[in-house]
Amino acid sequence: MTLLAKLIRSKIVAWIAIVLPGLWPAWPFFVRQDPSALADPLKFILHHLGFVACILLVTVLSFTPLRVLFPKSPVVQALNRHRRLVGVSAAVYALLHFATHLIYEGGTDPKAIPSILHTAVTKPFQLVGLIALAILLVLAVTSLHVFVRWLGGKNWKNLHRLAYVAAPLVAYHQALARKVFPPQVLWIFVPLAVLEVLRIITERSRAAARRKAVPAAANAVAAAIPGRGDASVPQHQ
Amino acid sequence: MHIRSPKDWQLPENAATPEHDYRLRPRTEDSPRRDFLKRLALGAAGAALVPPSLRAATFGFPDHANPEYHDPALKPTAYELITSYNNFYEFGTGKADPKPNANDGWKTEPWTVEIGGLCRNPMKLEVNDLIRKIGGIEQRVYRFRCVEAWSMVIPWDGFPLAKLVTLADPTADAKFIQFTTVFDPNDIPGQRSDILDWPYLEGLRMDEARNELAFIATGIYGRAIPNQNGAPLRLVTPWKYGFKGAKSLVKIEFVSRQPRNTWYVMAPDEYGFYANVNPHVDHPRWSQASERVIGAGGFFGSHQPTLMFNGYEKQVAAMYKGMDLRKYF
Repeated sequence: MTLLAKLIRSKIVAWIAIVLPGLWPAWPFFVRQDPSALADPLKFILHHLGFVACILLVTVLSFTPLRVLFPKSPVVQALNRHRRLVGVSAAVYALLHFATHLIYEGGTDPKAIPSILHTAVTKPFQLVGLIALAILLVLAVTSLHVFVRWLGGKNWKNLHRLAYVAAPLVAYHQALARKVFPPQVLWIFVPLAVLEVLRIITERSRAAARRKAVPAAANAVAAAIPGRGDASVPQHQ
Repeated sequence: MHIRSPKDWQLPENAATPEHDYRLRPRTEDSPRRDFLKRLALGAAGAALVPPSLRAATFGFPDHANPEYHDPALKPTAYELITSYNNFYEFGTGKADPKPNANDGWKTEPWTVEIGGLCRNPMKLEVNDLIRKIGGIEQRVYRFRCVEAWSMVIPWDGFPLAKLVTLADPTADAKFIQFTTVFDPNDIPGQRSDILDWPYLEGLRMDEARNELAFIATGIYGRAIPNQNGAPLRLVTPWKYGFKGAKSLVKIEFVSRQPRNTWYVMAPDEYGFYANVNPHVDHPRWSQASERVIGAGGFFGSHQPTLMFNGYEKQVAAMYKGMDLRKYF
């Protein structure tokens, strides 16, 4: 267990885990030389980059619920060291996915971009993906320390809660990416939803327990100090 | 004197595949694949893997190229790609799925097809007997445009659907023709889950069925059509999106009402009955104005504008005169 935690703590391991999936298309292209992948290589890359972006977004969003559920687990602590790296790479994969879409639809001619964007904003399937991309990019840029200081901790935190808006948008976008519903949407996003529900339940029950415990403790303190009544029971947070 | 009487399964010497062609046959994975990759590496979009002159017997029937449907401007897509990049949801939803899954125990020989409904000459017969009755097969090179905005050029072998219609002799009540794909969940893995409403159904209006372009394919590049492309009988309507081309047909019926085709049932706002290729009417999720050309343009691929009725306006536009093609998409 500690060995696993040590491994996960390593920056190098994290980078490998993030970069390697992006290189996966080399396997069907060069090793297996799969004609169905080579029929339209860019389409294969387009779908693959979007898929990796989905996985990374769900991964980074699972870190907080895991920390709430298993606060003492060294593995979970190790994972949480990489929050920013994983979050930013989800945004980078999403951006590469979008860039591939631009080349896929319009080649390398920049004059084609306006009409591709026009199509994108008129189709809900594409527009939703674009909104999710915008959110991820804003969060990636503001993940720099400068912005934490500039916005202040509370504002920054509220802004970064937009990630919870991005997740269902991405799930919708992925669900519509095929002619029939792709089941991988379920095995990517359902575990995250389950984790979030468990996290909310755990946080609420802990808060309730604290509410019970804190006044009792305060009363005990107040009783021990002469001349002080119940009026001075401190408000817990 | 010894008289040798050939068995009916023995092919005459001249029907055998020449050795050079045999080396290029699809099941020898090595040489055509390397050839294909070499072409891909060189970026030579032209010259198809298998020369169109190749005439390996399709069920042993004489096949001739129909010059009327051999536009020299059309560059056929490589055999390897036509037979590896398939939408055949009965065998999986990925493009790479049908090739392995349709060749894993699913038998397409022998094959019986039923022709019935509102016609004077219904029949149920073996596919080879049908081809014999039709009077043989011919080769046509058609554009193929998928609703997913990609395209190929395919040298089909087969016969015009109009010949089958004449043979069956539909009554005046027959307004549509309905095509049913085989249903066999034991050997067809995709049919064990209800991703689509099996069996796959498609249909045409009678005038569409009689159009000169409507075709029943029995082969590709002069060879028996591979399982993953819809062996042994498959509808081809080149002015319509590919999903109209029902595969592995077991039933062809003349009916009075418009058939409820499978993709229409699945998503009526996305896939219509007509499914005519139309660059001006978008799919709700993507544009249909242009298409990716499969196997062309090297790594980045190649794009081309989509043509009205997939370039067959001259042959089919009259059938839709006065129709609102936005409404009847």
